Amino acid sequence: MLFSSISFIYYFLPIVIMLYFIVPFKFKNLVVLVSSLFFYFYGEPLYSILILISSLSGYLHGLWIDKSRKSRYAKLPLICSIIFSIGILLYFKYADFFIENVNWFFNLNIAPLKVVLPIGISFYTFQILSYTIDVYKGNAKVQKNFFSFAAYVSLFPQLIAGPIVRYTTVEQELSTRSHTAENFAYGVSRFIIGLSKKVLIANTLGELGRIFSNLDERTILFYWIAAISFMLQIYYDFSGYSDMAIGLGRIFGFHFLENFNYPFISRSISEFWRRWHISLGTWFRDYLYITMGGNRVKTVKWIRNVIVVWFLTGFWHGADWNFIVWGLYFGVFLILEKFLFNTILSKLPAVIGHIYTLFFVIISFVIFNAGNMIECIESIKGMFGFLSIPLCNAETIYYLSSYGFMLIIAAFGATPLTIKVIEKIKYSKKGEFIIYVLEPIVLVSLLLLITGYLVDGSFNPFLYFRF
Amino acid sequence: MKNNIKNIVVVVSFIMIIWGFMFANILIPDNEFSFSERRRLITFPNYSLQKLLSGEFVDEFEKYSLDQFIFRDAFRGLKAMGKYYLFNQKDNNNMYIINGIIEKMEYKLDEKSIVNAAEKLNEVYEKYLKGKNVNYAIVPDKSYFIADENGYLTINYDRMLELMEQNTRNMKYIDLFAALSIEDYYKTDIHWRQEKIIKIADLLLNEMGNDSKSSGSYIEHKLYPFYGSYYGHAALKLQPDNMFYVTNSIIENAVVFDHQSNTFRKVYNLEMFDGMDPYDVFLSGAKPLITIYNEECKNDKELLLFRDSFGSSIAPLMLEGYSKITLIDLRYISTDLLGNYIDFSQDQDVLFLYNTRILNNSSTLK
Repeated sequence: MLFSSISFIYYFLPIVIMLYFIVPFKFKNLVVLVSSLFFYFYGEPLYSILILISSLSGYLHGLWIDKSRKSRYAKLPLICSIIFSIGILLYFKYADFFIENVNWFFNLNIAPLKVVLPIGISFYTFQILSYTIDVYKGNAKVQKNFFSFAAYVSLFPQLIAGPIVRYTTVEQELSTRSHTAENFAYGVSRFIIGLSKKVLIANTLGELGRIFSNLDERTILFYWIAAISFMLQIYYDFSGYSDMAIGLGRIFGFHFLENFNYPFISRSISEFWRRWHISLGTWFRDYLYITMGGNRVKTVKWIRNVIVVWFLTGFWHGADWNFIVWGLYFGVFLILEKFLFNTILSKLPAVIGHIYTLFFVIISFVIFNAGNMIECIESIKGMFGFLSIPLCNAETIYYLSSYGFMLIIAAFGATPLTIKVIEKIKYSKKGEFIIYVLEPIVLVSLLLLITGYLVDGSFNPFLYFRF
Repeated sequence: MKNNIKNIVVVVSFIMIIWGFMFANILIPDNEFSFSERRRLITFPNYSLQKLLSGEFVDEFEKYSLDQFIFRDAFRGLKAMGKYYLFNQKDNNNMYIINGIIEKMEYKLDEKSIVNAAEKLNEVYEKYLKGKNVNYAIVPDKSYFIADENGYLTINYDRMLELMEQNTRNMKYIDLFAALSIEDYYKTDIHWRQEKIIKIADLLLNEMGNDSKSSGSYIEHKLYPFYGSYYGHAALKLQPDNMFYVTNSIIENAVVFDHQSNTFRKVYNLEMFDGMDPYDVFLSGAKPLITIYNEECKNDKELLLFRDSFGSSIAPLMLEGYSKITLIDLRYISTDLLGNYIDFSQDQDVLFLYNTRILNNSSTLK
């Protein structure tokens, strides 16, 4: 089920809110669990069993790890847990990729398994892994109630497109959490803002992307417009989803950590990754990079660590070479920044750092968006005038004029400017009152406008569903 | 304190909206048709375990929830306003509005389609029309008049005409582009206005060598309000059109035979004005094959009019020149079947009259 759908907003959510707030506290996790399973079943009927199996595996492994803590084989249950979780992920997400490449490399003809990717598998697998690793390390207490654990894994606000909520983040709240009007109102506000980012901005930029894909005659300018538009689209799509997840979590009393922090204002690629998909970056940092020694190793090993982490970061995003290249591309930049660019950038005006970061981030999303490497190379050639195409034409001008304002809104909205302006008004004498009056009006207006967009529209996929 | 009140207002508003619409959607009976969109709406899907497990039920329910959402038209209007006025976009679902004139943007000339249309005309000629006075004319869409100057994309009309000229054989082209203007079209509909195209009927008769003149003796009858097919697509509150139909004694006395239903009707079917498509007032709308008989005509000439819906309103204006006009809509009847219904051995003028959109999507011609 999509958050940005009529079925979610006007059927699922009102019923779940009603049930959740009617039942006494001891049944609230059960309501969350049942509604989350229904939420998943609605979109992936057959794979619902898989999420239950994965949850059961995480739960049992947690108990085993806890029980074996002082034994000689304390690591065994953790290794089993990792093998089981990664094994499921490898089979369902990567099996056909490996078969395809083995066929190509050894000139074989192994039939692909044609496994359909279960929605959200990368997210919930990483959550289960964070739990078993944290229990092993003693960072989290073992969860003895299966329903509470399954409710954590399948928690519908973050089930299918993140953020990756670690067990330690919600450990306390699984047993005690407060429900206040303040939390609820914050949750509603955050949910509607996320919904607006997704429906009003990301989907509109997605239309522009579709138009570009269907063009008979492309131009250099349109290649650039499409690249910038996709970068903004994926930001609004994914950060909008994270906002909705955080907002929904808050309505039900959970506090999820932020997943984005204005990544496009970064002055370096390293900074960009501290601001983009934070839950994934910190997951790899804490569970892989640091485990491998992090930066407290010799230079060669550090480079190896970075390459491995970024290879896997790319691969996590999709079973295709362009995702691997995308991850390694960032790995290379991080290495270059450490040894060279950071020194140079620190001596240059800040604006140069912004331009440098945005330029290479735009290129990175061209790699990310490509269906395959040939398409990727073609797009980059198109952007830099290596294809025999005109600089501009009537179609380019038309779509630039039609979507230009949206691109400007999206670009400004991706910076902290809007929040700063609101804060400034809020701290003025009458400003606070104005904001208090305006906020509910704006939220209701946005919700109704979004409903109009949903009722009239059909183009609504979440980009991060494929991960 | 102020913050608490604000929080309560936010919570209560949100709950009222989501619960209110949920209960309204469940309790209010579903609609069968959308008159603004001119289509049947999706009803609640049938349930089965197999459909549920395959995801088919969910897909159908998603479409149902959109189609049957309460105040659907108002919400579509809200979205249109968001697109045009809030985000300053030039079109909404390819529809654009200039001074109350609604038009749908169609800008990619499909050259294969144009050649296919020309070949279709040639095929009809080769099968049935050899030796006859055969002509073709093209009705430009509204974009021809308003798109360029307002920065909208259009098809390449010159190339379209060039392709038609290069690929049609044994027929004469009659140019209507220069004779028409945007005022000759409805603002809310795709079609031309009958009271404005008397000059076009004259032009066609003249160019086909028929010396009758149709203009001069018509009485105009007004129908209001006319919400054209584009009105619902635009989803905004705009001024409806006046629809005029014109009569004289010839039109009033003419009878229309529908070959499909074997029934006779009058030229204008006023009951249709309150139906799904009010433009169906003219000759009762889209029909594969109809013949208009004009008993008052002094000659025995017949016109074979291969046409789309634009032909419905102009055919009555050409009655003075012919005792019989047979209108053939190749979207609904196959070329191969025409010989079963029409006697091609008679003295007949032939006119292929299609609008630019049909030619650009000519796979619909059978």
